[in-house]
Amino acid sequence: MERRELIQWLVATAGLQTLDTLDASDLLALGRDVHRSGGTRALSPLAKSNVSVAAERILPGAAAAGVTPFIDKMLADWYAPAERRRFLAGLPELDAKSRARAGLDFLACGEADQIAVLTALDDEVTALRAARGSAANQHWFAMLKYLTVYGWCTSEAGMRALGLFPLPGRYDGCASV
Amino acid sequence: MRDVTDFDAIVVGSGMTGGWAAKELTELGLRTLVLEAGRPITPERDFVEHKPPWEMPFRGLGDARAVAARQSRQSNSVSFDEWSHVFWTDDVDNPYTTPADRPFHWFRARQVGGKSTIWGRQVYRWSDLDFEANLRDAVAIDWPIRYADIAPWYDHVERFMGVSGQAEGLPHLPDGPFLPPMAMNCVEQHVKERMRAHFGRDRMLTIGRVANLTVPHLGRAPCHYCGPCHRGCITRSYFSSVNATLPAAQATGRLTLRTFSVVRNLIHDPRKNRVTGVRMIDTVTKTERVYTARIVFLCASALESARILLNSGLANSSDQVGRNIMDHIKWGGASGEFEGWTERRVIGNRPNGIYVPRFRNVTSRHADFSRGYGFQGEAGRGGWRDGLRAPGIGSALKARLAQLGPWSMSFWGFGEMLPREMNRATLHPTLVDAWGIPTLHIACQWSENELAIHRDMNVTAAELLEAAGAKNIEPSTSGPSTPGGTNHEMGSARMGRDPKTSVLNGWNQSWDVPNVFVTDGAAMTSSGCQNPSLTYMALTARACHYAVEQMQRGDL
Repeated sequence: MERRELIQWLVATAGLQTLDTLDASDLLALGRDVHRSGGTRALSPLAKSNVSVAAERILPGAAAAGVTPFIDKMLADWYAPAERRRFLAGLPELDAKSRARAGLDFLACGEADQIAVLTALDDEVTALRAARGSAANQHWFAMLKYLTVYGWCTSEAGMRALGLFPLPGRYDGCASV
Repeated sequence: MRDVTDFDAIVVGSGMTGGWAAKELTELGLRTLVLEAGRPITPERDFVEHKPPWEMPFRGLGDARAVAARQSRQSNSVSFDEWSHVFWTDDVDNPYTTPADRPFHWFRARQVGGKSTIWGRQVYRWSDLDFEANLRDAVAIDWPIRYADIAPWYDHVERFMGVSGQAEGLPHLPDGPFLPPMAMNCVEQHVKERMRAHFGRDRMLTIGRVANLTVPHLGRAPCHYCGPCHRGCITRSYFSSVNATLPAAQATGRLTLRTFSVVRNLIHDPRKNRVTGVRMIDTVTKTERVYTARIVFLCASALESARILLNSGLANSSDQVGRNIMDHIKWGGASGEFEGWTERRVIGNRPNGIYVPRFRNVTSRHADFSRGYGFQGEAGRGGWRDGLRAPGIGSALKARLAQLGPWSMSFWGFGEMLPREMNRATLHPTLVDAWGIPTLHIACQWSENELAIHRDMNVTAAELLEAAGAKNIEPSTSGPSTPGGTNHEMGSARMGRDPKTSVLNGWNQSWDVPNVFVTDGAAMTSSGCQNPSLTYMALTARACHYAVEQMQRGDL
């Protein structure tokens, strides 16, 4: 394993107890790498860009609402390692499907192709849900979409757009819509 | 500063009942020490009800790993979330055990205010339907008091707390000096009318009686409908020790509140047969200290107070300490959808729902079970959470998230549990908490009576919805709740008329050691089906006045 890969793996899997076995130059490189990726911990720079663009296509405004750092935080600190691995292993499907469709990586595709790729993945999850119910939530794209939707709906921009913030400071049980 | 170690009274616990004991005893002139096991609470710093989700690391989903490591048991509470988790104890520091086949949720709060910061705030009086129940059914032992004994004390505590609600004139759910009721929404009003047409007064619906202010009250501001009361309330709009009783006690100049103080046991003088004080552990310095007083009030919560008595080897000649644990069985009920009112919505987060007072075994006798249950519930329209897994992407998905779903209404039952000696907490033979204090082994399970009540909830909730014209009525698919899960645990040092079968007399006073009072949920002789905190509070205030009279007469 290349040092850079090792470090990315360490960051992605939170296998940080392994840090004890690294020498000073490795640690320095690790530090640089973490900062180069813009502060993300589970997502590599490429994965971060893919997640950010995909999130924006799933829910316009999601990227500006800060969904990407939320997804990174959830992957780094909330999900079980196996769930994180499943997500990170699935994410390159964006590129694979984009290349099959348009001959380009996901990020290089135009908006229409990106949406087509994401719609195909969404249909895949919908079919899986019809067949296997909530087991479909384990699909990596279901994770990405859930985190995008949840992240936006709990962001300031999202809560303002949904009329949930600021709070009205009163109760009306029969107000007009 | 000189550390005063002798007081007129010691109160163990600063929660719902400890706050009341502190207020009453100090106002009656006693120099009172309140020992709180947990940390101090500063509302401006610790109450986080207005902190939006985007300021939370996990947006409200909670720190899953920390919870799994330290609060896997506490996290089963319905009020436990990423904001409020700091108001529950650490399961590793505060262990307990159960038989493998009899899980029990013991939800505990250690900070100033205890569980009064995270409580559900529903307050319902008991009546003689409840106080006479054991005698009538020949179950366990009779309560030593009747409604007439406690009614003035319900008045006393409700007037100070501020309880909003609607007077209904029901003999089995007596009214109090209510503040104006909160409003029902359109569908709740509709269901109320349809129920009235169909069931008359037999099954009726009223707005929840809740310890949230609807008008300014004794210097506290009315509720502004932000919603998550269990995260605190900086406007002091709901009743809690921090918001109301402890400030009142502080104002007397006679309160000493000592935090980080875990009581290990009571100290007994066999010559006088009185406790002389308590031995506690300072959880910061890990040192033991002794404080003395003429009377001790145990207000540590039902199972903690029993634990202190067991660890003291006192007040248990009846062998009833730790026994007769009760909770309320829940998770039975039903939901249904309502067509119409599509142009109507709810604005604001009402921290309260509706209530259907008990209707089983009130005027008639049910074949399958004794006692009964009440329903809590509410109507509303679904929002973005219903769209979290919706198909589609892009602006169509965004529009879906902004859509309001159809109106639906749910009823959830809270059922009475019978007292049974076998439902028992004992001292664990080896396991101790982080401070070396023996912890509890809790063996508690539902009886067939509770399970029959739980089954009946599904049936009658569906009947209510059907009468109201609901569609797609779905009875609950949840099995019975885990005992303890309603956090209404009680009964572990019961009141009674006979020292041979009860721990406390009709004044919450130990039969065995007369200067020990237990006024939290431990004192309960039966469980009713109403949310119990109001009764604990009324009993506490009543016991405080009695204790002080006894002291003045020279009997204590």
